[in-house]
Amino acid sequence: MTTSTSWEPADADEMVAALADARSAGQAVEVRGSGSVLDRIPGGDEPVLSTAALDGIVDHAPEDLTVTVRAGMAFDELAQELAQHGQECPIEPIVDDGATVGGRLATGLAGPRQLGAGRVRDWVLRVRFITGDGHPASAGGVTVKDVTGYDVCRLMTGSWGTLGVITEVTLKLRPIPRQPAWFATETPDPTVAARLYRPAAVVTTAERTHVLLEEHPDDAAAQAADAGLEPAAAPTFPATARAALDPAALPGFLAELQHANSSPEGAALQVTAQGQLGLCHLDGSADALARARSVVERHGGRLLVLDPALGLAAFGSGHAPDAMTNRVTAALDPDGRLAPWRWER
Amino acid sequence: MLLRLRAILDTDGLTDGLRTSHLGRATYRRDASFLNADPLAVALPRTVEQTAEVLRACRDHGIPITPRAAGTGLAGGATPTGEAGARPVVVSVARMDQLRELDVANRRAWVEPGLVNARLGRAAAAHGLRFAPDPASQIAATLGGNVATNAGGIHVLTYGVMSQHVLAVELMDLDGEVHLLDGRAPEQGGLDLRAVSVGGEGTLGIVVGACLRLLPAPPATGTLLAGFPSLDAAAATVGALVTSDRLPDAVELMDARAIELVEGYAQAGYPQDAAAVLLLEYEGLPAGVDAGAATAERLASEHGATSVVRAADSDQRARIWKGRKAVAGAIAKQAPDFYLQDVVVPRSRLGEMLDTVVTIGERERLTILNVVHAGDGNLHPFILFDRREPDVLDRVFAAGHDIVETALRLDGTVTGEHGVGIEKRDFLGQVFDADSLAVQQAVRDAIEPTRLANPDKVLPTTVGCGEARMVPEGAWV
Repeated sequence: MTTSTSWEPADADEMVAALADARSAGQAVEVRGSGSVLDRIPGGDEPVLSTAALDGIVDHAPEDLTVTVRAGMAFDELAQELAQHGQECPIEPIVDDGATVGGRLATGLAGPRQLGAGRVRDWVLRVRFITGDGHPASAGGVTVKDVTGYDVCRLMTGSWGTLGVITEVTLKLRPIPRQPAWFATETPDPTVAARLYRPAAVVTTAERTHVLLEEHPDDAAAQAADAGLEPAAAPTFPATARAALDPAALPGFLAELQHANSSPEGAALQVTAQGQLGLCHLDGSADALARARSVVERHGGRLLVLDPALGLAAFGSGHAPDAMTNRVTAALDPDGRLAPWRWER
Repeated sequence: MLLRLRAILDTDGLTDGLRTSHLGRATYRRDASFLNADPLAVALPRTVEQTAEVLRACRDHGIPITPRAAGTGLAGGATPTGEAGARPVVVSVARMDQLRELDVANRRAWVEPGLVNARLGRAAAAHGLRFAPDPASQIAATLGGNVATNAGGIHVLTYGVMSQHVLAVELMDLDGEVHLLDGRAPEQGGLDLRAVSVGGEGTLGIVVGACLRLLPAPPATGTLLAGFPSLDAAAATVGALVTSDRLPDAVELMDARAIELVEGYAQAGYPQDAAAVLLLEYEGLPAGVDAGAATAERLASEHGATSVVRAADSDQRARIWKGRKAVAGAIAKQAPDFYLQDVVVPRSRLGEMLDTVVTIGERERLTILNVVHAGDGNLHPFILFDRREPDVLDRVFAAGHDIVETALRLDGTVTGEHGVGIEKRDFLGQVFDADSLAVQQAVRDAIEPTRLANPDKVLPTTVGCGEARMVPEGAWV
């Protein structure tokens, strides 16, 4: 992506200054981490405010199960550091694509283990950010429990850079599971999830249903035997688009999708589902994905398309903000400096 | 105005929808805190539609509202104060108490706000499911209140606070319009306004419904009771436990005074010679539970535990927990009054925090019991007193204030699960800088622009305190 202007501030103060620069030039900016997601949605040549130079761990307190990192740190680097202490934060991206910690928060996109571990937002304890009108602020704290004030931490998570520039994040940690192991059914069978106690992941592809068990190895073996699972490799995920909807609506969505898929023009659609979550990963042609979008939106969900070459909008009408969302956005970014084009792309 | 409210609420031959008499208002002056104020009236709508009409009537007359459910809150969040002395109408959701839908297949429940937490737990248990948030008040506290305060409980360490279990909130604004703030899809399709409404303490509108996540009941449970010769040894064991390879699902700490008090009351079998006990629980599949319990036994012994008992059966498990759950009852037999604090520190500062609480108690000549969600670093010091003692309230509040200041000094925060309400409101300037407070205010105003929903709570106001009084009503003394 080529850009007309870009800033790569080295710290929060420089970030404030860069934002002031953009403001005085009357420009709105796109906040960018590694670009692992942003480069996959349609963009123009907007000025970019990069968090790349905000790198590294600020403080890791193993006994507190917390880590504070700068937003531009690569998530996999953080994971490696934490692993040396036997700890993890289970919000890795679905494929290791170089995502930054700030990017994981900004998008809030589900990782492979969301079923067992919970959402990105549930691992965020404190966020430091710069508001759209240039004020450095923070929300949350470094303790694992905190109901002091409104939960702006979770609000920032999944806000796609429209509320503030995230500069530093404190995450909750947990011990790394000792022997995580993938298993699979012989044929696709998402109902296997109901026969397992809190599996870490259940992923159904066209061939089989993969299950990640992170329990004690004896428990995992017993669960696998009871549910008729065999050891298997981890699944791979289609990466062109992701459909997110209420899990209760998922069977209807999949049935309709299969119907469309059975026709010759729809045959090119690959679907992998994290069904209990209500999440599907899709590969397919622009036409097939456009049809999938209309189906998912009819079921009250949303389709995120992560391939600008397809000529489809990234977000679609399922993402159109309501009045309250617009008011909250305006409260933190009154002049619309932070990716005001976000939901229209 | 009151006539309009009565016309809204007293329908179908019912006459108890609005309370305006002195006596009718009296029980709604306060929640479970000491803070009290006189409401203009108390509205008890039975339906969402009535609630909407009540809010519209209040909006039309510029009268603030104070949402309320069971009133088990401890921070004055349901105390009916208004800015500049305006008397609010208390809007109680207690009569909207139905379990709308138990969706077993998708493991979730749609509830009305007045449904009591424990009732949802019982309904879920019939299907092998559970609702994880378990505040101590769960037999009385409602789910609407749990949403409004982002409640915690004993099993937060691995299950997380209320917000993690709230999939969607129906938030009614002052125009009576209901907003579905929906997080049922796995990824945000916009801003997570649901998150802000959870813990909104009634300042963003009224929660008139919620969709809550249920979890499968654990097949195995391991419960341990360990006695320690010092608070420091118990605190050090907590540190070792949370850095071990399997987190306990609950880690509760009680100090010697708490042990002595509950043992005389509940006979839970706690070691009487211990300076502190830890109650530990592991849940899940059997091998993992056994391995966790074995690790806990080893770590407790290594840190000088004088006794470690693992419950052999559910009766023994219930007995161990009985002691923890009987704290408030035991206190009631010992002292006429108590003031319950709620602060959080990073776990590594727990020992230091506990030592300071002891010092503060000695200085103010007050008995303070420590009951701690130790795995979360969340302290609940109970300050015991008898209000008939002259000037005792000054010392109680001085001790409470010092406990909060100490937590802040140790990088902690002013509330972990009870909420800000009125009690902690004026500490927020110490927690957040001016810009961060401005963000909080801006978010609040964006969601609830009328400023009529529970004014005077959560954020410090420049207008000054309302009419809340820290001293109990005359009739109590």
